[in-house]
Amino acid sequence: MIQSLFNHPLGRTVAVFSLICTIILLLAILISPLLVPIILSFALYALLEPLSAILERQGLSRSASSLSVLLILVSVAALVFSVLLPHLANQLSTLQSQLPAVWQSMMSMGNDVSQHLFNSLGLDIKTTNITQHFFTQANNWGTAALIQASNILINLTIFLVLVPIITFFLVRDYRNFRNYMLDKLPNSNFEMGWLIYHRVAHQLQEYIRGIMIQSGIMCVMTSIGFYIIGLDSPFLLGATAGVLNLIPYVGPLLATVLPILLAVSEVPMELWLIGAAISVILIAQLIDSTIVIPSVIANAVNLHPLIVIIGIIVFGNLFGFIGMVVATPTLSTANIIYRGLYQGIKTRCNLETKPVA
Amino acid sequence: MNSKHPLWQNLFRPRDDRISEVTEMWMSTPLFEKIPTKECRELVKSMHPRHYKKGEKIFSSGEIGASVVLIRSGGVEIKAAEKLLAELKPADFFGEVALILDEPRTADAIATEESELIFFLRSDLEEWVKRSPKSGAQFMLNIAIVLAARLRHTNILLSLQNS
Repeated sequence: MIQSLFNHPLGRTVAVFSLICTIILLLAILISPLLVPIILSFALYALLEPLSAILERQGLSRSASSLSVLLILVSVAALVFSVLLPHLANQLSTLQSQLPAVWQSMMSMGNDVSQHLFNSLGLDIKTTNITQHFFTQANNWGTAALIQASNILINLTIFLVLVPIITFFLVRDYRNFRNYMLDKLPNSNFEMGWLIYHRVAHQLQEYIRGIMIQSGIMCVMTSIGFYIIGLDSPFLLGATAGVLNLIPYVGPLLATVLPILLAVSEVPMELWLIGAAISVILIAQLIDSTIVIPSVIANAVNLHPLIVIIGIIVFGNLFGFIGMVVATPTLSTANIIYRGLYQGIKTRCNLETKPVA
Repeated sequence: MNSKHPLWQNLFRPRDDRISEVTEMWMSTPLFEKIPTKECRELVKSMHPRHYKKGEKIFSSGEIGASVVLIRSGGVEIKAAEKLLAELKPADFFGEVALILDEPRTADAIATEESELIFFLRSDLEEWVKRSPKSGAQFMLNIAIVLAARLRHTNILLSLQNS
């Protein structure tokens, strides 16, 4: 029974695929403390590798081009941290001071709605209980987010040292390491292994480059939009929208929450500002969907939207924010590996069962 | 003094015999015509040498191919539907269609003796074309010439068969 199942292309593919997934999962568990810097380094590698190739074309050696790329990376990071970080920190403290006003504004809105319902329909809704529950929940989330943020800050120092080093070695040695590992494959699977690797690498590289460019554009567009309409902390809100845009489908929805809450908290409440904040996000989304995504991401991920959404929820539940960001490329990679394996194994099974002429 | 002493071997041995030899072999094929030897040598360093036993299948008809193969030593026969199409010897190459098309192989390749084969993968070609577009374009032109020659040869064979 098991033997016949294993002889079937589908059964064999599922077995090999499960084995590969188990090995990758075990490796991920083994290096879990370093998983985030490694993922970040790979993302930077995907971005910087073409630059290193250009420098190599100009006659620089592999090591010299990798070192130049590292220097560029460190310079850009230093520039970003020295210019943007104090500005963003300033906006963050402003936002923090505005939060009580936001809660207050929402409380009064709840009371107004309840009063209106009681006067017009005679419905007595205890909004105080609802808002109390909502605030307790929000407070818990906020506390968790603050703890997570402080953990991130502690880890940031480690990341700042680790990420450039890992990126440098990836740019310099990744190709050799990849060749060494893939050349270990047996003769019969050598070409298939390379073919699957090439498809995965190509698609991942396209996706990472595309999503980073898309997030950058989203960040710039929303920052400018919020600045024009006069919303407080426009660059922080823009940066948040850009980062949240890394999560397909769910991220853009989450990005709308904070600007709308800030617009609602304005005293006296200005309806046009709420409308303008929503319009900025909608226009940015429209430009993103019609111009940016088709030109920079295109068909980088050939997955059904429902699978992506379920994947984001499951990965987010398991690994938090980073899980939500890596859900789509991980699912896409698994999809390519599975399809490649099935194609190769099916051909092999057909050849094995073909009658000898 | 024994001339095979490792010290003397290391001192006077050329930089890398294998790479030089494989580079020379590739340069003698129409695929690398008009391409600088230095570039070919750099490319050879990233190619994939593999060893095959006598009678071992290199690839089968129907499998998706991803590389052109150069015979460094040994021999290979190309068969389609059990019919022998070609017997290849060192410095010959085969499977170049796979560099262009992501399609199944159309024939079987089997090692007729202990062989060392050098695989030049499509992914390596694509990386090279990005790095050196000028040489990459020349290589593509060379492939087109080789494929056109093969097509012409097949057409002549078919017309001879029909007549």
